[in-house]
Amino acid sequence: MIDYTIFYKTKFKPDDEWQEDTRWDLLISAYNDSERVREIFEKANAGEKHWLILHDYAYEETEYPQSGKVFAPKDKHEAGFIQEYVKESKVELNNKKLCIDITGFMRPHLLFLMKYLLMNNVRKFDVLYTDPTSYAKKDETKFTDEVISEVRQIAGYEGNHIPDTSRDILIIGAGYDHQLIAHVAENKDKSRKIQLFGLPSLQADMYQENVLRASRAAESVGFSAGDESSNFFAPANDPFVTASVLQEIVNNLNNREPLTNLYLSPLATKPQVLGFALYYLTEQQNNAASIIFPFAGKYTRETATGISKIWKYGVELPSRII
Amino acid sequence: MVEPDRKIGQINPFNTTKASHLSDQEIEDYWVDIASDDGYGFLEMAKPTSAMPMLILGGKGSGKTHLMRYMSYALQKIRYEQDIISGIKQEQYVGVYFKCSGLNAARFTGKGINEEIWGDIFAFFMELWLAQIVIEIIIDAFSEREEFIQNEADICNDIFDLFDSPDFDRPSNLFTLTRTLNDLQKRVNTSVNNSSLTRSVDVKILVTAGKLTFGIPQIIVSRLASLKAVQVLYLVDEFENLAEPQQKYINTLLREKEGPCSFKVGSRLYGVKTFGTFSANEENKEGSEYEVVYLDANLRKTKKSYSTFAQRLCERRLAEAGYSTFDLKECFKVIPSSKCMEELAAYITSDKQDDRRPYFDTLRKNLEQGLRSNAAIGVRTSDDIDRIIKDLQVPTYTFLEKVNTFLLYQDWYSGENLVEAAAKISEECSHFIQEQKSTRLEQVLSHFKEDLLAQLIREYQHKQLYLGFDTFIDMSDGLPRNLLIILKHIFRWSSFNGEQPFQRGCNISVESQQKGIRDASEWFYNDARLTGPDSETIKSSINRLATFFRDVRFSDKPSECSISSFSADISQSSQRARQTIDQAEKWSLLINIEGGQKNRNSQRVDPKYQINSMLAPRYDLPVSRRGAIALNWEEINAIFDPNYVSEYESLMRERIERMTAPLFGKNMQPRGPMLPGFEND
Repeated sequence: MIDYTIFYKTKFKPDDEWQEDTRWDLLISAYNDSERVREIFEKANAGEKHWLILHDYAYEETEYPQSGKVFAPKDKHEAGFIQEYVKESKVELNNKKLCIDITGFMRPHLLFLMKYLLMNNVRKFDVLYTDPTSYAKKDETKFTDEVISEVRQIAGYEGNHIPDTSRDILIIGAGYDHQLIAHVAENKDKSRKIQLFGLPSLQADMYQENVLRASRAAESVGFSAGDESSNFFAPANDPFVTASVLQEIVNNLNNREPLTNLYLSPLATKPQVLGFALYYLTEQQNNAASIIFPFAGKYTRETATGISKIWKYGVELPSRII
Repeated sequence: MVEPDRKIGQINPFNTTKASHLSDQEIEDYWVDIASDDGYGFLEMAKPTSAMPMLILGGKGSGKTHLMRYMSYALQKIRYEQDIISGIKQEQYVGVYFKCSGLNAARFTGKGINEEIWGDIFAFFMELWLAQIVIEIIIDAFSEREEFIQNEADICNDIFDLFDSPDFDRPSNLFTLTRTLNDLQKRVNTSVNNSSLTRSVDVKILVTAGKLTFGIPQIIVSRLASLKAVQVLYLVDEFENLAEPQQKYINTLLREKEGPCSFKVGSRLYGVKTFGTFSANEENKEGSEYEVVYLDANLRKTKKSYSTFAQRLCERRLAEAGYSTFDLKECFKVIPSSKCMEELAAYITSDKQDDRRPYFDTLRKNLEQGLRSNAAIGVRTSDDIDRIIKDLQVPTYTFLEKVNTFLLYQDWYSGENLVEAAAKISEECSHFIQEQKSTRLEQVLSHFKEDLLAQLIREYQHKQLYLGFDTFIDMSDGLPRNLLIILKHIFRWSSFNGEQPFQRGCNISVESQQKGIRDASEWFYNDARLTGPDSETIKSSINRLATFFRDVRFSDKPSECSISSFSADISQSSQRARQTIDQAEKWSLLINIEGGQKNRNSQRVDPKYQINSMLAPRYDLPVSRRGAIALNWEEINAIFDPNYVSEYESLMRERIERMTAPLFGKNMQPRGPMLPGFEND
């Protein structure tokens, strides 16, 4: 059984000097209005820096950044977007010291990028994530316009599901967007719902804010919303512990009685999304397991204020390509 | 059933409000039929043995899933625990239930692949999926029966022969066959799942669409004598989760249905995206290819039956949680109604320090303005105003003062001399109190009592009252889940407030009911999570409509009583407005009132819609429906079409002004010389 917690994770402050091991051939980042995204892009030591312009933030061409190489693929689907970027940039990802700043990424794009790297034999790379000081409007912060167009599986994370749905499980990485939680819970109505909260949270007060918001989806999540055995915790900024906790939850449930279908829905912090991807790509590919996501119309360009800490995760994807 | 060591009161018996969250056993335990006098229950409505396919449509929480799961094999097995085969024979059908959300059907589209190819692959995938469910049921029901053991090899051979070009070995038993089907399905999955990376899909279609779906039941029924004359009933739940081409595939199955199969397709009202088929692009027609049951509309039709059903549903929940049964109406504190509403008056004035009457303050202000604008006939001086108010006063009965004030507004609207009118009202009020003879007060109260109470409650700055079990049933309006959610929230508040809800002798307090009902209403509003680009338009439209109703209800002289409905010739309004109304109805935010409303001028029957009563507490609207306001096409556009929203304010203001003193929408000129103190507003 893989132990995810042996992977490297370091943190540094924005004003710290960037160490030698923070030097890369290529930095990929997703552009938005956050200070924490722009400042890291400027400061990072990379031979080449690529901005990705995601449709979801609805930037006009006149608003594109001036620094770095800018790529704005037309395809709105996460798989098409990433593939178009790779094609357009002509970048060879597997012979470069690669770093991805996931702070501004949309979750589906981030997830597919992980799968794409795996498929292209890019097994080792660094990931950056910057903690905000706080979210702009505390527990009322809106990350999306809350108009959900569809709930579907993420490309590359579509499993081999079976007709028996009697012991289906949906594990939700419960973030601030209660509407997203509710949508995804209703889409897999019959599944037993398990919520994974970020604790410790990015900042001390964020856990309470998170729980307050998530509680608004209680009716959709069902009785299990208040059931202790259905609420789990993993640090909001640790993808490796997140992957470990997922491993533990699923193994425990499977040992009790084999699961029929497993659905994962990472709606919380980006490090947790990374943890969900790591877990899925390492242990659930080709099983009756999927990552599902509620797609919203538009995302807020700036939801957080300040820079608290910068995290660097040394990611190693499994060698098994299926 | 309640666990023996569980103490009553610790678990909220209404916690689980969705059928999909219930176990098979709970579906059985909580099953309650509608109580109609002619024995017409849910199964008579759903007709599981009918060969004609059926769409079971209903709003969220109308009980579709509960009903469809009740007809499923899993529930038949619970009902006939001793001998499932005789149970199936007795019921004459076997229910093959599945939810469309389990198919994860969204992956069968896009990715740069032709939609026709996706259509073929989805059809093949569905063949494999349904075949596995049917065969699993047969194995589960028959595996130890002699007739099955004797026929299993033949059944396998026959099923194998259904494939056009099988690329697998002939299976020797049904277990091997399901393994093979599962492997085939995995192959489809792998190719479909990788298509986002490869931008191509490589699936070999091994069987013609429909061949397994109809063929396997035919083989089984012909090979197993005990299933003779038994219908294989496909129960397709959550149809709304399929995209249009995928619905077309299911529609094609309905159209080309072969015996012994039939279908019940469950969907939310908005969920049917097409009636089209792949059979020469023909559309399925109601009455010809399918019939429809509108579940919540059916429940609404018979108020008495629904009320009894709803009560029994709650009693069953309580009984399963270990509570003893008694009249649920006794469990909730209500403020008793009386001729002069003394108890309500006491309730709303109990926290007031002074003896100010807010309705008289407003009336005085209006009369003063009327005097200035020459719009209050008979009022010449401030002494006249004092006299009018004095005539309307009945210090012992706050509510009657409110009624008197309303009568004066009516007279004012009709152009009466207000000083004389007030004197007459005073006289009538005395008669009313002494019950000497029939008065205008009785007539007004027969229509406007609830509205006047609502105004009084608001004027004393209290929250509107929605109390009592009957009110909660009315609010749920054919959607049983809404009732359960109301009770769930009330239970929660009642427990929090230290009460012992639903235990003998406990009256759930007004406060707990008020808080619970508001939580439930807020949930309903927020839960109307409409998917898609029109969702904001629909929600804003409902906001505008409800705000307009509220303004009417709390105006000086509402044109309609208990306003929560409108009627309109919507054919005259814009297409966008019609679409919004249609979608709001499909999302159960608006309820279409059967029979419509006869237009007062043209005698034409216009469609009539009521705003869902679950929203009543959010906007301080009545739960019961009485009056319906007739809206013209301009007003309909301003409420429901985003292109005309800019006209909403002025159109609605114009309407409300007609119900507002002192001018009641009339254009009056200020009188010449003003009395001292009345020069300015």
